[in-house]
Parts: sequence; structure tokens; C-alpha cells
Amino acid sequence: MANRNFVAKFTFLLAALALLVGGLVAAPAKAAGKVTINIWTFGNVIEPKMKARYEKMHPNVKIVTVNKGGPDQLAQALIVAFQARRTPDIAAIETSWSGLFRDYPSNFVDLRKAPYNANKIKNNYVAWRWAQGTGKGGEVIGLPTDVGGLEVAYRVDLFKQAGLPTDRVKVGKLWPTWDKFIEVGKTYNKKMKRCVDKKKNKTCFLDSSGTLFQALLNQGTQKFYKGPGKVDYQNRQVRNAFNQTGKALVAGIGSRIAPYTGDWYAGMNKGSFATLLAPAWQLDYIKQYAPKTKGKWDVAEVPGGGGNIGGSQLTIPKAAPNKLEAWKFLSWYLAPAQQLTVFKEYGLFPSAKTLYNTPAIQGYKDPFFRNAPIGKIYASGALKLKPLYEGPKERAIMSIYGQALGRIEAKKQNTSQAWNQAVADIKTALNR
Amino acid sequence: MTPDSAQSPKGRRGTRVSKSTNPWKSSNHNSNSAKKSENRWSQLFISPFFVMFIIFGFLPIAYSVYLAFFRWEPLDSSQNFVGLENFRNLWNDPIFWQSTRNTFSIWFFSTIPQMALALGLASILRNPRLRFRLLWQTIFLVPNITSVVAVAVVFGQLFGRDYGLINYVLQFFGVGNIDWQEQTLASHVAIATMITWRWVGYNSLIFLASMNAIPNDLYESASLDGANRMQQFRYVTLPQLRNTITFMLIVGTIGGLQVFAEPATFGGNLSGGSAGQFSTLTLYLFRNVQEYTAYGYAAAIGIGITVIVLIISAINFALTRRIASEDAKK
Repeated sequence: MANRNFVAKFTFLLAALALLVGGLVAAPAKAAGKVTINIWTFGNVIEPKMKARYEKMHPNVKIVTVNKGGPDQLAQALIVAFQARRTPDIAAIETSWSGLFRDYPSNFVDLRKAPYNANKIKNNYVAWRWAQGTGKGGEVIGLPTDVGGLEVAYRVDLFKQAGLPTDRVKVGKLWPTWDKFIEVGKTYNKKMKRCVDKKKNKTCFLDSSGTLFQALLNQGTQKFYKGPGKVDYQNRQVRNAFNQTGKALVAGIGSRIAPYTGDWYAGMNKGSFATLLAPAWQLDYIKQYAPKTKGKWDVAEVPGGGGNIGGSQLTIPKAAPNKLEAWKFLSWYLAPAQQLTVFKEYGLFPSAKTLYNTPAIQGYKDPFFRNAPIGKIYASGALKLKPLYEGPKERAIMSIYGQALGRIEAKKQNTSQAWNQAVADIKTALNR
Repeated sequence: MTPDSAQSPKGRRGTRVSKSTNPWKSSNHNSNSAKKSENRWSQLFISPFFVMFIIFGFLPIAYSVYLAFFRWEPLDSSQNFVGLENFRNLWNDPIFWQSTRNTFSIWFFSTIPQMALALGLASILRNPRLRFRLLWQTIFLVPNITSVVAVAVVFGQLFGRDYGLINYVLQFFGVGNIDWQEQTLASHVAIATMITWRWVGYNSLIFLASMNAIPNDLYESASLDGANRMQQFRYVTLPQLRNTITFMLIVGTIGGLQVFAEPATFGGNLSGGSAGQFSTLTLYLFRNVQEYTAYGYAAAIGIGITVIVLIISAINFALTRRIASEDAKK
């Protein structure tokens, strides 16, 4: 009798607790007739000003952005969300993760279908960026945000000291190929004689040669996969890219300063490196972290033609509660007109190729970079790349190759030792 | 925080108060049934903890044990039973063992100086002539509540190879630049410094609390016997703190085996350096989850860590018991 009483009280308490928790979770979702679009994002993929503008245009829509910290954390959270079938309405997927999600398109709304009909606007965008949001069966799982692009930002004052040309067209012609780029690097270091770690006024040709690898891979036609389900991370293009990067590392043209470290920000101000392989969004870093170097930088074309680091797709998960409203927002936000605004205000280069020939892009110059025609240079680079197939373990393979290149840079291994270990490491990592 | 102080008179007084003013006790009940009802209610009141523990503690643990026997692709929710393969791979995985060594090395470089520094700071705090005591105690806790990202930025500047403050000072003394990232030992010392900085203040406050519990007559009689401050510390304070030190060592070891944030922010990614020179156990676990999306294998690593923690705890337990029995002999 007493026991049953206890059970009853206990059940009552549990039920009360459950109601309380349930109420807390459910409450924010029902905000007075308004539609809420939940967006998972990182960095500045969703610009707050643009969000506010959309909300003003659509008074019944409220946009809630959740910053997941970084592309890796976001991908991780999304994988978990798919398991729980509790997803946001829109999720940003960075290009280093697009390979994984493209392999499992059934988790997303297929935007080819009515009422979305995404293929109608396909030709507005750069082909290879569009492909990064295409599932293995041709499903459209997301629309592209910006193009990272990749060009060479270089220090005019340091080039002058080293007796190199300073005009951006002439500089671009110094390195039609990566081999020539490495040669110029050697010349620079030899002339300046200051690419030494302990030197106070250390200056090397490049920040970190490791960035060459990704640039080289993206200029090719095949990365780590032959096609759906066919991993092929040892193919000749990958091997060549690895060896070429190894050559640059052994030649010591880089300052061995990893991007986004304390030394990197300091080095940018002190001229520790004369060049950077810079995606468009990185130019903003230079402006922000080395404002005193204004007028000392210029931008020239990258060897081999074109390149890319970064960029995202905006996707709508299948379990999204407000699919149609989500689509309305993302197709507005990524339409050419809005991409142009984002480019002008935040420096993110558009993936909408219909903009590339407009005066707004062609005539865009940046006084920080000695009035370099940034728009023109990045537009022509973006058009040179071809679509590449990416697979589910892209991120793992890239990370292990990156580690191997680090060992060459630290002189722990030579290029072929590093390659062999990387291939073995990838094999074990993929077997799990 | 010693076992003695946990049962302080305060606690005992507490039970007595609740008995005399028991709100559930009604006058027509006999005392036996009142006790029963009190017991029931107390069970009810502690049940939220167990409910929460089952949901957020036990179920995830059970599920990860289950997961360790599978190869699991999270996105197409296919789970293939692989039996003990994950554990076999783990046993033959050089990076796992390398991470184990690194973890212990970092633990060594962080725990020993941490204990010594915390003891020293605690005895300074105990000095009656110290002014602004509360201010100091607050300052000591600040590292513990500072965001890891902010800490990483600051330590990134300190441990930079080319423009780091520490190398700048070393250069001043004619010592060459240390490559904190690439050298194994240097990277362990750098990470251990971050951990020490974070925990030393917290530990010193715990030491201070148990130092304050040492009866003053011990010091008085020691000083009557002519012991100076150092001797008092050596022969009165330290032996009295033995239980606390053991407790802190156990907690510190378990925490040290789970060190993650410091190596992750130090390297800026999950690989733990170009040759895995500062990859730790949890960092490697997390790399398998996040970069390799190998959930089953990561679960196996988790169980590996648990086994290591259990072994260490058993050693600790044996040591503590030996110390206790030696005490009893006296």
C-alpha cells in the first residue's frame, strides 16, 4: 500500500518534470503566428545586416542563426541532428565537408523538384561551385555561397628590395607554372639572405608552402575519388601535387609559419613573408590584422590558373520544419543581386557568374592593395576551375596529407617517406 | 576537502535540525512510520539525480559500449557488426599508444609542478600578515573560468616560434629559438604550462581549505619545541595534508587522462602535430569522430581510455590503502 503510494508520487513527479521540460522546449517555437527559420552557420556565412533586411521585407518571418563555431563543428552537429531527426531549416556546409554530404543526399530536400525547381537558376552560378551542392544521383542539396578563389597577394616593397618586378602583370608572368613559382621563391630568399628562423628581420618568400597542395589539387581534374564509392587517393594527380608541394617545402621558400597562428599575424605586419596564397576572404584578414601595411600589398594571378579555398553551400535538411520559407530565404540570399551586396560590404567573392562581366565586379578596385582590380582577377580565376568529384572521407584524407606535409616542413621526413606514411595512415583511417 | 572535513560538525548539526522540525511528521503517526515516510520522501528527492544520470550518463555509456562492436556510417545509418575488430585495431594502432605516452608525459609535466606551486601558494595565502586575502583568492580562480579560446590566443602568442614572448626572452639569454610545436618535449611542456596555469589556483584554494582545518595547537606546540616556519611546514602541514594530496592526485590523474582543449587549441586542429607528437587520448578519440567519421572505432578508444583510468585508479587505491594502514600501525 505504502509502496504503491510511493510509486504514484514518483510517477507524478516524473510526469511533472517531463511536462516542464517539454514546455520549455516547445515554448519558443510558437511565437505569435510568426514563421521562424532556424539556420546553423559558422563565421560570417549569414551576414547579420542581410538577415535584418530580409526580416524587414517579410514581417512574418523571424530568422534565428546559430553559430556552430566552425565548419567541422557544424558538420558534426548536423550528422547528429540527422540521427535525431531534429534539424534546422537551413544548414551551411563548408566545401571541405561537401564530399561527405553529397554521398548521402537522402538527408536533404532535393531542390530540383517543385516547388523549388533549383535547376532553373543553375546557370546563374559557377559550374564547379554548383557541383559541390549536387548529390551523387544528381540531386541538388544546396546552393553555393561565395567563391573562395585563390590568387597571390605579394609585398611590393619586399619584391623591390629583392630586385624582382613589382608591376602585377609582370609579377604574374614571373610564374606561369608552380615550378617557376618555386624558382622565384629561391631567388628571393637568396637575394634577401634573411629567411632564417633566428633572424629578427626574418623574411621568406611564402608564408607556408603547405597551402600549395590544396591549390594544386583544385587545379586538377581528379581529387581523392574516381567516382561515387570509388576512393582513389593515390592517383597520379594527387601524387604530383604532393611531390610538387614537397619540392617547395624542401627548397625552403616558405617561412614555416602556419596560417592563423600568432606568428602568422605578427609576420604579416613584420614582412616575414613576401607572398600569400590568398582566397578572396583572406584579403580581409590582411586589412584587419595588418592595417599598417596598407599600400604595400598587391595581387597577382596564381600559377597554373585559378584556385579555391573555402566557400559553403546552404542546404535544407529533409526534417526541416519550414522548408518552403527556408527556400524563399536562401534563394533570395544567394541570388546574384544579394551576392553583389555581400561582396561590396564584406568582401566575399560571389559564386554567381552572371555578375562577373558587370562593371560592379570588373571595375572593382581596392585601395588597400594599390588599387588592384580584385574583382577582375578573382573572376577570371574562378572561371578556370572544373568540377571535381568529392567523396565522403575527403576531410580525413586531406587532414592526413596535411600532416605529412608538416613532417616534410619540419624536416622530420623526406617527401617519399612522408608520402608512404600518409598513404598507410589513410588506409588504416578509412578501414574503420 | 579531506574525508574528515566532509563530516564536519556542520553536517551533523544539519541532520539534527531536520529531524526535530520534520515537516512531514504529523502528531498522530508513530515514530516508526514517520521514519518510513521520511525515507520514501528522501528517495523521491534524490531521484532527479538518478533520472538525469540514467539519461545523460548511463545510457550514452551503454550505447558507446554497444557502438564499439560496430562499423557505423552515421549518415546512411548502416551498422555492421564487426565483433572485436575495433579492439584488435586499437591494440595494433601505433597512434593510440603514442597518444597514451603523450598523455602521461603531459600529465607528469603538469601535475608535479601544479602540486608544488599550489602548496606554495596556499601557504602564502595562509600567512596572517598577507593583506587583501580575498582579492588574491579571487584572482587565483580567474584562470579556471577564463574561456579556453582566449587562453589559446594568449598562449599562442607566448609560445610562437618566431615572435613568441618566451622565445624572445630565451634569445635575450642567448638560448636559441625553441620550436614549441614541432619538438616533442617542448610541445608537452608548453601544453602542460597551459594546464598548470588553469588549475594551480583552484588547487591552491583546496589546499588552503584543508590547511585551515589543521588544529592550531599543533603549530603552537611545534613552535614551543623550537620549529621554524619551514620545519612546521615539513613536519606539521605536509603530513596533515596527506589525504588531500592523495585525493588531488587521483582527481588530477583522471582529469589529466582526459586532457583535450589544451592540445587542440595549441595545435589549432585535431591532429596533434605533424608527427602526432602532442596527440592525446581524447584528442585522438575526437579526431576519429570528427575527421574520420569512424564512430565505432572512436567508441573503442573511449573504452580503452576507461580501462586505463581504471588501472590507474586501482594503483592509486592500493597506494592510498597502504598509506592508511601505515597510519593505523602508528
